[in-house]
Amino acid sequence: MNTIEEKLWNYIDGSCSEDEQKAISALIAGNETYRIKYNELLKLNKEFSAMELDEPSMAFTCNVMEAIRTEQAQPPLKAAINKRIIMGITIFFVLTIAILLGFVLANIHLSAINVAVPAGLKMPEMKTYFTKPVIEGFLFFDAVLALYLFDTFLRRKGQTKQI
Amino acid sequence: MQSELSDIALIEQALAGNQSAYTDLVKRHQRFVFTLAMRFAKSREDAEEIAQDCFIKAYRSLASFQGQSKFSTWLYSIVYTTAMTFLRKKRVVTDSIDDENIYIRIDADSYRHQASGYDVNNAENKSRSFYLNKAIEQLLPDDAAVITMFYKGELSLEEIGQALRMEANTVKVKLFRARRRLKEKLERNLKHEAKELI
Repeated sequence: MNTIEEKLWNYIDGSCSEDEQKAISALIAGNETYRIKYNELLKLNKEFSAMELDEPSMAFTCNVMEAIRTEQAQPPLKAAINKRIIMGITIFFVLTIAILLGFVLANIHLSAINVAVPAGLKMPEMKTYFTKPVIEGFLFFDAVLALYLFDTFLRRKGQTKQI
Repeated sequence: MQSELSDIALIEQALAGNQSAYTDLVKRHQRFVFTLAMRFAKSREDAEEIAQDCFIKAYRSLASFQGQSKFSTWLYSIVYTTAMTFLRKKRVVTDSIDDENIYIRIDADSYRHQASGYDVNNAENKSRSFYLNKAIEQLLPDDAAVITMFYKGELSLEEIGQALRMEANTVKVKLFRARRRLKEKLERNLKHEAKELI
């Protein structure tokens, strides 16, 4: 249920129905409590309406327009990069690699391959280098690196959303 | 004399590449945007930063402004979002509407400042308007923003609701509570002042 104050504020704001407005008008005219409260709230309302706005610094407008101009002068990297150029470079390299691969494969004569390893040639023992601790360390480093990159990716995504 | 262009006309000009039209828009709304930012930030520097950020964001998304609501309503919704993000970044406690401890502390501080003769122009400033502004500063940001929008933003309850992303009825309740709190704070400040004078 609305209190006297709530009813009177609605009346002052004009946010109540016509019937309510009539009823409250009658109450103000005939009821001392309502009249005193109404005058008190009316005075407050007048005071609130007279509140002054704060003034920003004199350079505010200039600063805003300057920031906008600077932003426009520096297009974001996404816009500066032409996607067609990137696609062109990619297509060029893919085609070159494909042509080279095709040429090489077409000129290989498998029957002509007869490689004889000289008897004195000593191949390096790979097992001595790739020991279990080395491989585990390598995998651990990879995992940390992957987590770091994933974290950076998520942060960037979050920042973009905020903007 | 040339009549003042409407916000919509200025937006159209700004979108057509006329930056001075946007300058006019900034000049027209800067006082209110800054005041609204002050309700959240409580320091002039931070409020200017928020207000500046708002106008830049508004410029960036000017093309997306549909014109279904008033430009001011749209702009104030940007102020509200920007101010809330700013507060979150600054880690100022504003989430809980019931947690008034921080503002009670501000009350105590302002009394201490007054009692110690902190304000040189005390005699000049001690007008009703001065106390009203002091009381608004002591309100919670949400309350202060609703009161400022209602009395100075020339917005209806529905428009305030649009800007704050709330129902008009919620705004009505908030406004009622905010006015009551403001009245209490104003009375308390003036009572304290009267005691000091005695």
